[in-house]
Amino acid sequence: MRVILDGKLDIEGAAAIDLKMNIIAGSRKAVLVDMRNVSFLGSMGLRALVAPARAIKGRGGKIVLFAPNEMVEKVLKTSGTDTLIPVHHELQSALDALQLT
Amino acid sequence: MTGNGTGQMQDQLALRSRLSDMTQLSPWIESLATRHAIPGNVQFAIELCLEEVVSNVIRHGYAGAEDCSVLVSFAMPRESYFEFVVDDEAQPFNPLEAPELGALSPDEETRVGGQGIRLVRQFADAVEYQPKASGNRLSMGFSAAK
Repeated sequence: MRVILDGKLDIEGAAAIDLKMNIIAGSRKAVLVDMRNVSFLGSMGLRALVAPARAIKGRGGKIVLFAPNEMVEKVLKTSGTDTLIPVHHELQSALDALQLT
Repeated sequence: MTGNGTGQMQDQLALRSRLSDMTQLSPWIESLATRHAIPGNVQFAIELCLEEVVSNVIRHGYAGAEDCSVLVSFAMPRESYFEFVVDDEAQPFNPLEAPELGALSPDEETRVGGQGIRLVRQFADAVEYQPKASGNRLSMGFSAAK
């Protein structure tokens, strides 16, 4: 499943996606989160990504982040989120990483 | 806004201790960025740090009390340097002395947060804490001249 996020993942943006991400996390095992149009990522936004990612992985699934901008990727790396949810900038490598074994 | 010129420039945003009030932060920062030509990556860092610090004051400092004061002040003490000060009247708490949690790791099964201080230290160029007679003051500086 491809989830396309758009805009700012600030406190308001995080609240807007929380429920939908949790529903996806409870029902899908391979999720690509397209970050190309995410212009801001704060700590509330991180939570909205990390909690469903842990749920998906806990069910034996996989989740990847695709093409975050430079500053968003810096937040992902500083927080260590990239160790939990791999970041890919090539679509094919992102799709390959989602192959369930 | 009060004053003109770099050294005198100051602007303030008064919030109440409700998470819903935090929606005022982003348009305020955007307005400052437009008026003072703050570069996009610096604006990103400012918003990241203010969201973290103000939400911590509201959620932890005031522990759910909804009608307390959070005052955010902006100053430009010199060219290409932007300073934000967050004043509250909460219990004394120095976030710079709080133990910093490690980065998130795939081995932990439950933790989803705790990255706030790490992010502020990385994205602000200067962070300073001052206790007040009643409350706390956290100052953060951001340089566009990197």
